[in-house]
Amino acid sequence: MRGLRLFVALLAVFGLSLAQKTIVIKAWTVGPDDPSITRMTNLEEAVNRLNAVLEKENADYRVKLEASFDTTDWDNYLRRVLLAFQSGQAPDIVQASAAPLIGVWATAGFIAPLDEYVNRYPVFQLEVIPTLWNAVTFKGQVFGIPQDTEARPLYFNKTLLKKLGWSERQINDLPKKIEAGEFTWDDLLAVAKEAVAKGVVQKGYGYWHRPKNGSDFIEWYRAFGGTIYDNQSGKLVFEKAAAKRYFSWLKKAVDAGVLRADMLDGNWRNWHQNITDGKVLFWSGGTWNWAEWTQQWLKDKGGQDWLWANVGFAPQPSYKKGGKPVTLSSPQAYMIWSGSKNKEIAARILAFVTAPDLDARHAVGSGHLPVLKSTPSIIDDRFTREVSALLNYTTFQPLHADLPKWQEAFYRGVSAVESGGLSPDQAVEVVAAEMKRALKDELIVR
Amino acid sequence: MRRYAIPAFFLTPATVLIVLFFMVPVVATLLLSFTDISTTTLSKPSWVGLGNYRDLLADPFLKKILANTGKYVALTLLFNVGMGLVLALLTSLVPSQIGDQFRALWLLPRILPPVVYVFIWQGLLTQAPMGLVSDLLGVSKNWIAAAPWSVVILANGMVGASFGMLIFTSAIRAISRELFYAAAVDGATTWQTVRRVILPLLSWPILFVTAYQTLSLLTSFEYILLLTDGGPGFYTTEVWSLRAYHLALSNYFGNVEFGLGAAMAAVLVLIGILVSLFYLKIFNFQNLVVEPKVEVN
Repeated sequence: MRGLRLFVALLAVFGLSLAQKTIVIKAWTVGPDDPSITRMTNLEEAVNRLNAVLEKENADYRVKLEASFDTTDWDNYLRRVLLAFQSGQAPDIVQASAAPLIGVWATAGFIAPLDEYVNRYPVFQLEVIPTLWNAVTFKGQVFGIPQDTEARPLYFNKTLLKKLGWSERQINDLPKKIEAGEFTWDDLLAVAKEAVAKGVVQKGYGYWHRPKNGSDFIEWYRAFGGTIYDNQSGKLVFEKAAAKRYFSWLKKAVDAGVLRADMLDGNWRNWHQNITDGKVLFWSGGTWNWAEWTQQWLKDKGGQDWLWANVGFAPQPSYKKGGKPVTLSSPQAYMIWSGSKNKEIAARILAFVTAPDLDARHAVGSGHLPVLKSTPSIIDDRFTREVSALLNYTTFQPLHADLPKWQEAFYRGVSAVESGGLSPDQAVEVVAAEMKRALKDELIVR
Repeated sequence: MRRYAIPAFFLTPATVLIVLFFMVPVVATLLLSFTDISTTTLSKPSWVGLGNYRDLLADPFLKKILANTGKYVALTLLFNVGMGLVLALLTSLVPSQIGDQFRALWLLPRILPPVVYVFIWQGLLTQAPMGLVSDLLGVSKNWIAAAPWSVVILANGMVGASFGMLIFTSAIRAISRELFYAAAVDGATTWQTVRRVILPLLSWPILFVTAYQTLSLLTSFEYILLLTDGGPGFYTTEVWSLRAYHLALSNYFGNVEFGLGAAMAAVLVLIGILVSLFYLKIFNFQNLVVEPKVEVN
C-alpha cells in the first residue's frame, strides 16, 4: 500500500515537472557606456517579477532570460543585430535608439507593431510620459516601448573659466545667459580663443565635440538654425544656409586654435581622459557621460564631487542673439523581433520592466533621464533633477527610414571642413550632392 | 574520350572549389550590384539595373577615395616589394645561420593576428605616458592621427615585406651556383653580381610578388580599418574596399546599402583584372613562359 502511494506521489511530481515548461526569452541590449548595464539588469529583474506572478497564477511555464549587454560600440552592435535579423536568429527583445532605428527596422519588417500590447497592459498608458510615444510611433503604429531618454548638454569647465578671470557669479549665470539666447556660439568661440591665447588651455582644447559620428550633429545643425524634416511632405530637409553657418563656425574654431583639426579621430578614451583631467574648456556631450565620468574616469579624484566642483552644464547655445538654445533627446526603446515565437511573453516582460523603481535605478545609475511619470517623485539625485531642466529645450530626431543617409553625408561635410579638406562653401555643395544621390526624392534642399 | 578521363578526374576537385568559392561569389556580387538591396529593402529588393553604378559616378567623394586607393597601393607596394627584395638580398649575402634567424624574426608580424598586431602599433603610437614613440621623442601626440598615411603604409608594409622576402630568398637560392662562380671568375663585385646576375633572374618572382601584392592590397583593408577606420577627419585614409565595407556592412546608424557596396566590389574586380593585364604586358609575360631553347636534362 505504502509502495503504491509513493509511486503515485512520484508520478505526480514527475508529471508536474513535465507540465512546467521553461520558455527562454533572448534579449540584446547595448550601452555602449558601461553604466547603462541597467538596460539589461532591469530586464532580468522584470523576468523575476514575472516569474513570481506566474507562480501565483499557477501557470504551467516559467521564463528564463538570456540577456547580453554590449559595450563595444553602436556600429558593432547594430551589425550584429542586422545579421541576426537577416539570418532569422534575432533575439526576442532588442534595445536600440528609437530614432532612426524604428524607422529603418519597421520599414524592413524586422520589428513587430506593439499597439495590441500597449492597450492590453495599463501600465504603458498610465506611466509612460506621453510625448515619448511620438518617438516610438512610425506610420501610425507603436514599434517600441520607451526605455530611457537623455539630453545633450554643453558642458564647461568652471575652474578654467575662473583662471580666465571670470567671477563666481559670471560662471553661475552662464547657463541662464545661454537659455536667454544672450551667449551664442560666437561668444563661446571668443571666450575659448581668449583661453587659448592666455595659455589657460592648450591649442585645440577650447571646444570639443564628440570624436565620432552620432546624432549630436543634428542638434548642432538645429542650433545653427537648420530644419531637418518637413512635416507636410514627410521628407527630409537640407538647409544650405544653416549648414554653411555651422561649417563656417567649425572652420573659424579650427583656424582660431580652439577646436582640433583632428577632432574626429574616433578616440573616446582620449576624449574622456582630457575632459576629466580638466584640460578642456567647453565641450558638448550627453547626460550619460556624467555617470561614465563619475564611475569610470574620476573614481580616484572624488567622482561626482569633482564634477560638481569643476563642471557646469547648459543647453547648446543658439547661433544668434535672442535665439532659442537646443538639445537633443534620443530615447532608447525596447523592441520585439517580428519573427519571435514568444511575442506575448516578451511584451509582458516589457510591461514589468516599465516600473518606476527600475526606471529610477537606470536613470540615476547611468545618467539618463526617466521615462515614467511617477519616477521623479522617488528619485533624490541632484544631477537628474537639475539636468532634467534641459528637456525644456529638447528636440527629437525624425523617424525617417533614410535619416541615416542624411546623417552620414552631413558628417562627411563636418569632417571635411575640420580637417581642411574642403572650404565651408564647397562642403555644403558636396553634402547637398551626396544627400541628393543617396536620398533622391526623399530630400528637399533649400 | 578516355584521353580526357584522367585529366578530368584530376581537374574536377579544383574546378569545383574554384566555382564554389570564386565564381559563385563573383556572380552573386554582380547580381546584388544590380539591385537596391539595403537594410530596409532586404526582404523585397528590386532590380535597378545600372542604378548603383550611376550612383557611384555621382558620388562627390569618389575622386578622393580613388586617389587614396592609388596612393595606398602604390606606396605600400613600393615598400613591400622593395623591402622584401632588400631583406632577401641581405639575408642571402650573410652566413645562413644569421640570415635564417633574421628572416624568422621578420615573419613575426605575419603570424600575429591583425588585431593584436594593430594593438601593438596603437600602443607604440599613442600619447605619453603610454605611447613609446611619444615618450622617446618627448612630443606627446597620437601619432596615428598625426601621420596616418605613414602609419598605414608602414604597418601594412612590415607584414607585406615578409612575403616578398620569402619568395625572393627561395628564388635566389635556386640560382645555380655556377653562375656566381662564373661572375666571381670574371671579377664582378658584389653589386655587379646582384645587378647583372641575381636581379635579371628574379624578374619572374618580382612580377609574381608585385602582381599578387597589388591585387591583395586593392582588396585588403583590415589594417586601415583597425588603425584609422578611414580617418582621421575627411576620408583621409578611406580606400575603395574600405568604403565598400562601410557601405555594405557597417554604418553608425545601422542602415547599410548592400547593393551599392556590391557595385563597388564589382568595380574592384574589374580594376584587378585591368591591373593584372597591365603587369603581364610590362613584364613581358609571354617571354617569361616561352619554352627554354635548350633542353636541360
